[in-house]
Amino acid sequence: MSDSGGHRTSDAPLVEVRGLQKYFYEQDSLVDALLRTDPVAVKAVDGVSFDISAGETLGLVGESGCGKSTCGETLLRLQEPTGGTVHFDGENVFEMQNSDLKSFRRNAQFIFQDPFSSLDPRIPIGRSVREPLETHDWPWTEPDVETEATVRTDGVPRDRVAVSVAADIDKVVTPENGVATATVTVRQLASAADSGEEERGRDTSDTIEATVEEDLTIGVQTDGDRIDVDVSVGRSNKQLRKERAAMLLERVGLSADQRDRYPHEFSGGQRQRVGIARALALNPDFLVLDEPTSALDVSVQAQILNLLSELQAEFDLTYLLISHDLSVIRHISDRVAVMYLGEIVEIAPSEKLFRNPAHPYTQALLESVPRVSTAEQDRNIETLSGDVPSPRNPPSGCRFRTRCPKVIPPPALDIEQPAYRTVMDIRERIENRSLDLDGIREQLANEGKSTGTDELVRELEERLIDTDLDRREAENVETAFRAIANDEWDRAAELLRAEYESICETVSPELQDANDHQAACHLLDDRSVAEHRDRDGTVDSRE
Amino acid sequence: MISNRTISNLKQGLSSSLLAKLGVVLLVLLVLMAAFAPLLATHDPTRTGSFSDTGNPYPPPGFDYQTTIAQDGEFEQVTVSPSSDHLLGTNNVGQDVFSRFVYGARVSLVVGLLGTALAMLIGVPYGLVAGYYGGRVDDILMRIADVMLAFPALVLALALIGVFQQSTINVPDPIVMAGLAEGMPETIPIPGTVTIVAALVIWVWFARVTRGEALSIRNQEYVKAARGFGVSDSKILLRHVLPNSITPIIVLATIQVAVIILLEASLAYLGFSGTTLSWGYEIERGQDLLRTRPWIAIFPGLGIVLAVISVNLIGDWLRDALDPNVEGTERGA
Amino acid sequence: MPSIPTSRGRSGVPEMGEDILRIDGLSTRFFTAEGQVNAVSDLDLTVESGEVFGIVGESGSGKSVTAESIMDLIESPGEITDGSVEYRNSEFADAISENHPGAVDDDFVDLRQIPKDARRSLRGSEFTMIFQDPESSFNPSLTVGEQLAEAVEVQRRATANPRSTKARTRSVEYSFGSLIASTVLDSQKFIKPASKARAVELLEQVGIPDPAKRADEYPHEYSGGMLQRAMIAQALAGEPDILIADEPTTALDVTIQAQILNLLKDLQEEIGMTILLITHNLGVIARMCDRVGVMYAGEIVERGTLEDVFDSPTHPYTQGLLGSVPDLENVGGTLQPIEGSVPSLLDHEMESRCYFADRCPKAMEECLEKPPEFAGPGSPDHRALCYLADHEYDPEQALPPGYFEDEEVAPDE
Repeated sequence: MSDSGGHRTSDAPLVEVRGLQKYFYEQDSLVDALLRTDPVAVKAVDGVSFDISAGETLGLVGESGCGKSTCGETLLRLQEPTGGTVHFDGENVFEMQNSDLKSFRRNAQFIFQDPFSSLDPRIPIGRSVREPLETHDWPWTEPDVETEATVRTDGVPRDRVAVSVAADIDKVVTPENGVATATVTVRQLASAADSGEEERGRDTSDTIEATVEEDLTIGVQTDGDRIDVDVSVGRSNKQLRKERAAMLLERVGLSADQRDRYPHEFSGGQRQRVGIARALALNPDFLVLDEPTSALDVSVQAQILNLLSELQAEFDLTYLLISHDLSVIRHISDRVAVMYLGEIVEIAPSEKLFRNPAHPYTQALLESVPRVSTAEQDRNIETLSGDVPSPRNPPSGCRFRTRCPKVIPPPALDIEQPAYRTVMDIRERIENRSLDLDGIREQLANEGKSTGTDELVRELEERLIDTDLDRREAENVETAFRAIANDEWDRAAELLRAEYESICETVSPELQDANDHQAACHLLDDRSVAEHRDRDGTVDSRE
Repeated sequence: MISNRTISNLKQGLSSSLLAKLGVVLLVLLVLMAAFAPLLATHDPTRTGSFSDTGNPYPPPGFDYQTTIAQDGEFEQVTVSPSSDHLLGTNNVGQDVFSRFVYGARVSLVVGLLGTALAMLIGVPYGLVAGYYGGRVDDILMRIADVMLAFPALVLALALIGVFQQSTINVPDPIVMAGLAEGMPETIPIPGTVTIVAALVIWVWFARVTRGEALSIRNQEYVKAARGFGVSDSKILLRHVLPNSITPIIVLATIQVAVIILLEASLAYLGFSGTTLSWGYEIERGQDLLRTRPWIAIFPGLGIVLAVISVNLIGDWLRDALDPNVEGTERGA
Repeated sequence: MPSIPTSRGRSGVPEMGEDILRIDGLSTRFFTAEGQVNAVSDLDLTVESGEVFGIVGESGSGKSVTAESIMDLIESPGEITDGSVEYRNSEFADAISENHPGAVDDDFVDLRQIPKDARRSLRGSEFTMIFQDPESSFNPSLTVGEQLAEAVEVQRRATANPRSTKARTRSVEYSFGSLIASTVLDSQKFIKPASKARAVELLEQVGIPDPAKRADEYPHEYSGGMLQRAMIAQALAGEPDILIADEPTTALDVTIQAQILNLLKDLQEEIGMTILLITHNLGVIARMCDRVGVMYAGEIVERGTLEDVFDSPTHPYTQGLLGSVPDLENVGGTLQPIEGSVPSLLDHEMESRCYFADRCPKAMEECLEKPPEFAGPGSPDHRALCYLADHEYDPEQALPPGYFEDEEVAPDE
């Protein structure tokens, strides 16, 4: 496992996620166990796989309930996974124990969404930034590392000078090849030195001045002919931590004098900066950022995004950026993964995804975002119908099929897409038995109409059919409605299923293996995504 | 947890609030009064008498009553109601109310404060663990607590006293031993069992409140952040969860002090306290005589009120000073 | 499909394109322990009948307070200290002029000059508001249908007695005795079945499937998007002339947002309602609005048609805002954030200079004195509160960087 700031030597991705699963169980208390009620699994993350290479930014985008935040937290083991593996720098995160896990926590950090609750309100911000340093007992000194000094003299014979170097200067000085070196200069001054300003790296005695280049403390004493110079850190660990915290606060654009203030004295944007400073304290390699700017004003968002870009370049960071805001994702990500109901439906380099989205959900998502342009009002948006299904009971096969505007009819069937979508919606309602027949009967009665089968069927047709259906479809639907009027729900469902069953509901689409642009959609089954790409974003769906 | 900033906040809270000062002053006075009781008391609080004309330990009815009380066989002419001899009068067995008031502070304060502290010591960690870990752990722990809660306090206390056996620790009174006060009892009876029992009855409330707080704090992002840094659970509990749960715990503590003092009173009245030299006991004793001899119950009652008020005011001070979000005057950088 | 009666059909509402709301010199202050907060300062605004007017601003700009001031929702320690809010409706003007002739000017009624009851009687029927968080707008212990029916009922009474402002809320049916009675006797219920039926119609109108069943469900059984639709339905129950929407889609997913915005646009076209849309999202503004006002520190710093503001932004704040938003259309490059943070709105901390000067990259000497509103390029509606609308930027006159550094900046929440 590499140390803080260490460089990777292998070409393998920094983060490898395979089949990650996180289920939350409801109805799982003691009482339920006694009553033998089965726990219900909320499948927040259900089989997610991706890689992140060192230095890149992977954007994870999706709407609420898709599981992206849970994915990020589970990846860093802030939640215990239900299944799958995550390898960080070659090591299996879920099998780590104790010291390895602690090491992992140094290298992989999380930045939270809500700047108002990500800082302990009772702890001054300087202290919050120091907390990771304290937990890991930074700064570290390796007993194996040797310490020495390179000595330069100016007007003083070298043999008069005796330099001693403390063993723990590697807390401050980065060792090279196992040796931490302090660069010391001993000078003869023309006249007896005035001490001038107290400087840590400079000390004088009589007419001898000793300075050290690094951020260390130097002391010099003359004893007759001998000049004794000693180099040490000169500060306690606590002070070093305070210094680092101050440096981090400045780096993120705040003033170090504010370190004793409480979080509530700062604005949202400033608090988010504190959160970033804290995450960087231990010089991690990898950061998971969960909606880092969602709670901020637009103009502050820009400041934070710019800051994150700068920091990534400066500290060689790898980011997993989680957001629902496509514009933010596009602005800062190299690659993008789109999540829906616990699964990744598309993953591709950023530009390819935004220019040529392959998955119907991605297409719908992109279409829905209003553009900041005067031409926006003329743009016609096809909106998705309905709401996201419950993660307790996700649809079989492709999870997006219940709302997909391009759901695939059976190959033998010749049908228009809008009609097929209507029929599929009706099938969904029948299979879930979510048609309130009694309510309809009641309403018919209130209106003074009869509540016989014919009227019921007519009413259902009026309510549920909003496109023109061919005769065959109209007949099938009518038969099904008659069946349910007779309370034969299963028969109705079976009837329609036999005619209209789609591959989208029977077979779960997998991410296609083609190159770097993958999408989990049956529309792409028989052709490579490369082909699709050439077609400028529209896929022939037998419309 | 107790940082410099906290200390300065506490000082500032104290100096800026008249009520906080009042609370502290009051409590200090009460504690001093209890500590120096032998010097303040005018009579031996434990000496009883019997009334000469009736021969009874109990005085005949009448408000302003003069009689001769036999104390240790010696007859004394006294006015039972407050007079120059007995500042606050005597009670129905001829004991000096004032002296009993001054001495009574000891038991009530010790049991009240110590009992509450003990209850917190048990209940708060219990609640922290239940709330923070949640799930089965929470279920089991809280069911146990609920069972305890189902018993009425007094009944539970009596049962526990039966189990533990009455034990009062008699600590020698240093002031009396030093010969500074004459004629005063030589030992301080500390009702150990009652204190422990009170704590065992009351801790559940602290557990519940703490658990509720811990449950909500656990989901705060700063707790997640701390876990993300690899901070150990125990450190998180101590450093993040506990300080942020403090406010309702303090409020509860101030209420429970009063509850425990009154609990002890009931136990004393029933004779289970191990000592009768407590405010609570006097109140119980004087209840029936409120119309005729109100001084017997009023002064100890006043004592409890003062103790509870002082604890409440101090609780307010602590609560406000420890909450960084309560904007008082400008806090310096 | 049942329809909602159009505004055009109702008497009193001005024609498309004519002014329906005129706000002049509106100032709303909050008198807090820390001092007086100038949430809205001397605001002028004109909204035309049938248009969608957008107010865009960030937190602390005063946009929500403006909306609340129009709706008369400002409570202590807040107070509208100055200005007029003129609403144009010939019928209402007639009704008011009987008792308060001073408040009426032609067809305009100054709402700040009529008694509180009269003003508040407009709420729900002429003016209505929808909010960001649909969940807190509904009573969790009543079904959605009941709450909608209530809104319908109020409107029914209002139209029955158009001149009586009292009829809408003061009636026997609202007394405690009748509440008891209504739980026992069905016929005494405040909500008539006709209103309930209308409620179901409204739910259908806003695109909620199975409206009859949904009407009997409680708010917590609705998803976020559906609840927002229900809120719109509730707003429409009053057949309002003016709908004020305060961040209506901010809390929603982007696909749901698209649905809701389409719905609002369709409804608005169908019934000719005027919408005042308040948001910080420039994309939403672009999608929905005909004219726009940009707010900063309690003032409108730039206003005009959508083209004016988006294509030729004149005020540096508007320019900054447009330049700092990552947009799907224009990618790449760094965002140009606006440096610094929002100014304090405390009266004793506000200067007499242009409020944006301390963050403005083009601040000049003259900006130390508050600029008046100048006309901008483009349509005659385009105006900006900035000297740059009057003349070019003169680098000679530029204020030195760091000029404002000694000023206190408020650490806001």
